[in-house]
Amino acid sequence: MNFEAVIGLEIHVEMKTRSKMFSSSPNSFSRAVNTEVTPFDLAFPGTMPRLNKEAVRMAIRVANALHMTIDHELHFDRKNYFYPDLPKGFQITQQRRPIGSDGYLEIRKGNEKKRIGIERIHMEEDTCKQTHFVDYTLLDYNRAGVPLVEIVSRPEMHDGYEAMKYVEAIRNIVVYSGTSDGKMEEGSLRVDVNISLRPYGQKEFGTKVEIKNLNSIKNIQDAIDFEIERQSKALLSGEKIRQETRRYDESKGATVLMRVKTDAVDYKYFPEPNLVPIRLSDAFVQDAIDTCPELYDSKFERYLQMGLTEKDAEIILSDPAMASYFEAAAPSGADMKEVANFLIVEVNSYLNKTGKGIKEIKMPATELGKLTLILKKEKLTHKQGADILFKCLEDGIGVEEAKKALHIEAMVDDEGAILAFVTEALDKNPQSIADYKAGKDRAISFLVGQVMKLSKGKAKPSAVMAKLKEEIAKR
Amino acid sequence: MMGYLDKGMKELHELLVMKKITPLDLAKEAIERAKADSCNSFEKILEQEALDEAARLTEPEEDNILWGLPYIAKDNFSTKGIETTASSNVLKGYVPLFDASVISRLKERKCVLIAKSSMDELAMGGTGTTSHIGKAYNPYDPSHERMVGGSSSGSAAAMAEGIAAFALGSDTGDSVRKPASYAGLVGMKPSWGRISRYGLFPFAPSLDHVGYFTRDVEGAAYLLEALAGHDDMDSTSSYRPVEAYHEYLNKGIAEKKFCYFKEIVDSLSDEEMKKKFFASLEELKKKGASVEEVAFGLDLLRAIYPAYMVISCAEATSNDANLDGIKFGPYYEGKTYQESMNEARTRGFSELIKRRFVIGSYCLMRENQEELFLRAQRLRHMIVDRLNAILREYDFVYLPAAPGIAPRFGESSDKLSSEYLIDDNHLALGNFAGLPSITLPLALEEGYPLGVNLMGRAYEEGELFAAAKALEDITGLSGLSAINKKEGRL
Amino acid sequence: MKKVDKDVLVDASSRLLFTLKEEELDTLLEEFKILQAQMEMMKEVEGLENYEPMTFPFDVSVDYLRDDVPSEPLSRDDVLRNAGSVKDGEIKLPKVVG
Repeated sequence: MNFEAVIGLEIHVEMKTRSKMFSSSPNSFSRAVNTEVTPFDLAFPGTMPRLNKEAVRMAIRVANALHMTIDHELHFDRKNYFYPDLPKGFQITQQRRPIGSDGYLEIRKGNEKKRIGIERIHMEEDTCKQTHFVDYTLLDYNRAGVPLVEIVSRPEMHDGYEAMKYVEAIRNIVVYSGTSDGKMEEGSLRVDVNISLRPYGQKEFGTKVEIKNLNSIKNIQDAIDFEIERQSKALLSGEKIRQETRRYDESKGATVLMRVKTDAVDYKYFPEPNLVPIRLSDAFVQDAIDTCPELYDSKFERYLQMGLTEKDAEIILSDPAMASYFEAAAPSGADMKEVANFLIVEVNSYLNKTGKGIKEIKMPATELGKLTLILKKEKLTHKQGADILFKCLEDGIGVEEAKKALHIEAMVDDEGAILAFVTEALDKNPQSIADYKAGKDRAISFLVGQVMKLSKGKAKPSAVMAKLKEEIAKR
Repeated sequence: MMGYLDKGMKELHELLVMKKITPLDLAKEAIERAKADSCNSFEKILEQEALDEAARLTEPEEDNILWGLPYIAKDNFSTKGIETTASSNVLKGYVPLFDASVISRLKERKCVLIAKSSMDELAMGGTGTTSHIGKAYNPYDPSHERMVGGSSSGSAAAMAEGIAAFALGSDTGDSVRKPASYAGLVGMKPSWGRISRYGLFPFAPSLDHVGYFTRDVEGAAYLLEALAGHDDMDSTSSYRPVEAYHEYLNKGIAEKKFCYFKEIVDSLSDEEMKKKFFASLEELKKKGASVEEVAFGLDLLRAIYPAYMVISCAEATSNDANLDGIKFGPYYEGKTYQESMNEARTRGFSELIKRRFVIGSYCLMRENQEELFLRAQRLRHMIVDRLNAILREYDFVYLPAAPGIAPRFGESSDKLSSEYLIDDNHLALGNFAGLPSITLPLALEEGYPLGVNLMGRAYEEGELFAAAKALEDITGLSGLSAINKKEGRL
Repeated sequence: MKKVDKDVLVDASSRLLFTLKEEELDTLLEEFKILQAQMEMMKEVEGLENYEPMTFPFDVSVDYLRDDVPSEPLSRDDVLRNAGSVKDGEIKLPKVVG
């Protein structure tokens, strides 16, 4: 390719505080329309903004995780524009002095680490939700005033993969810091892409195109890669790139034009006169940082040290509830690698089958830990462990109880005991011996079955097979 | 005819405590007088609500001087369940779901709300002529040729008509203190942040203050004790403790340093005003105060009005962007949302408001901000620094509150003027710097009140009341109303 | 600074979502001339450039932050009580496009 793509991302994250950014309206993402609204959210005259302490703490945590400089004095501005989803006719945001500035994060690209600069992170409020019908639009104010942080990267990414990894990293931070659900498909994490192309070696940026409405991490990569190709082709055929906003159409696998941008909108920013500057003490900022839950990267390293593979660690960390369940098993001294195996295979399959979330299962994580210990101690097989696990999950009972109910005991692999069973089985079934010798392989399976029956299932199948063959050969 | 409501708040309180009168007596008198109002003072008289409320008040509270007193609120205070329009068609039919914090506080103190008063539309005017119900008249002028001033026009007129014990107003430039001057009332605006603005419809929040009218300085001091204090609903409200301001009243002014601004007094053309003003200076000195002339700086005094216009219009255009007919106020069908909103705003706002919005919006445009909005904010800063420097040397700034008596309609307008009317615009200094400022009557000229204004240091309201009380003793004009015209002592 | 003429004013008012009549525009134009001239003169105020733009009346900052405790929201009826156009528990507008 002849062009270098320059990509910057603006990410809006809805914070899961209990109340809204500037009003005490509940913020529980209720689906019942217009039930989480106070007068401020409707912009009733005379209402005034009251900044949410928890939102500030969350913003500090994210800023800190992104290695940003944190402003210890909060300033807010009004961004003025008219739109039906904007009740006040302005949005309160932090234009002049964002709470965090000049940071970075690292993404992994193969075996290398790449640093992506982050310009700013600021707090603001969400708009109300519009639902469009054929000839009218309905407005639900539950979302109006929901706390947001906006994270603005520097234009330092160059392809869809980097952007995808960047968003993944941001999502991991906001999710593990407890700031947000970070769900793109539900809109609690929204990504706008700015992308321009320029010939390699050129310093000036090309014309910027914005891509909106990206509802999954995968779409980000696909949309960007599509857009790079679209613009390259256009540039190569001598076309000019227009400054426009596009959206990603998943079914077509293509970006499509939303609108051509005319002159830049003038938001007439000015300081919000109803919020005087708010001082944050060093202690307040430090406390917000110190009480931040452990973040993804730290957990990942820790899981590797527990003996997990990178892949397993990633799978468990892809769901914070799974990770927290996983970690809850540790204090029992469990075999964490085995815990991970059970979680990734058996527990996940149980969850898929029942449609439950991990938070809903009745089995405490400590029981799963205990299971791995019993397996080791009593030399039970993974399969036996799985049986116990399913029993626990289905009946909501403890490991010991499940094991007893399933009559699971350690396998017999003592040579003398197995020989006794084998001898008895061979004595009773001479025909099978003849069949086997005549080349009928199925006969040996029958004999294994007979031995298992005699041992009441306790004989170790591999040991039985070997002994059978040995003994038949002798006859 | 004189009635109870021509008396001061303290005297009314004593009568109530002695059970010589009841809140219901007062409410009835207030309602009766309100119904006889001829000055276009009201948006709404709350007859039934007021009488019901007053009838419930039977046990006097000795330690609550506001107990059972009837009052009036400007129609830009949010009142739960009572239509509140700020005298604008854009808010016609809007019934708030909550009370402004000052309304709640007065409810807790068992005050009885008699009426919502008319005002300049959305508080953006100084003449009392732009309400959607028409202009307000000055009660001192039965021929209805003179204005009462604005924007708290209805509250001022109603007080001058003796309709209530006190009235709430709002003051962004001089909207309480100027009409107080024209209506012979005490008009008080404390420091910015002293009284919660929650529920006050904003005009320009960085300049907006809750203010009020009383019939004497004593009432003003007591009322501030009830209204002041931090409110979680208004993040800009101050945590400083509220003082017992009435204890300052008789502190006197010995050794206190007053100053007046040379440029403003020089520009006065009303000889009577000048004469009485200088006479009052001599009386202040007799009480042990010193009075000096200070040159503020003509360029800065001239900057007050343009800077005020730019800042207040800019903030207003943003504050009032919520008025679009969608969530509240008259809604108009349209083919598009723009059409619908456009209709609501075009029909809802009067011409003056629209012009000011355009001015404000223009001043905020990216390419104009530095030369208009930011320059105005720099001017504000410079003016405030100058003012505070003066107040480090002097205790009070003392000036005529207006150039003279209430002007006739047509003599003064809200249209931008190329003249610098520094003696008509200087009260905005108190808004720029957020300083406590009180207007009180100085004398009567041909039967119309002349007013003066005192301004003190931020959060030193007590000292200001002491000075105002001393001045009131000098003028002898407490308890003035159009019904109870007095001879002043000056 | 942008030059003010009628077109600019018409554009500014349409962005503010209202319409001005011809004579209203004339008055406004007149006011603008006055205001701009005054603000232009203010540039001459000595030492002005040394002053930072001032938003609040005095140097004021607080450390108050609201505790994250939800309060009782409005009932849906109250939310919609003052709205002139309502459907299915929501505020209804002509279709919003773009």
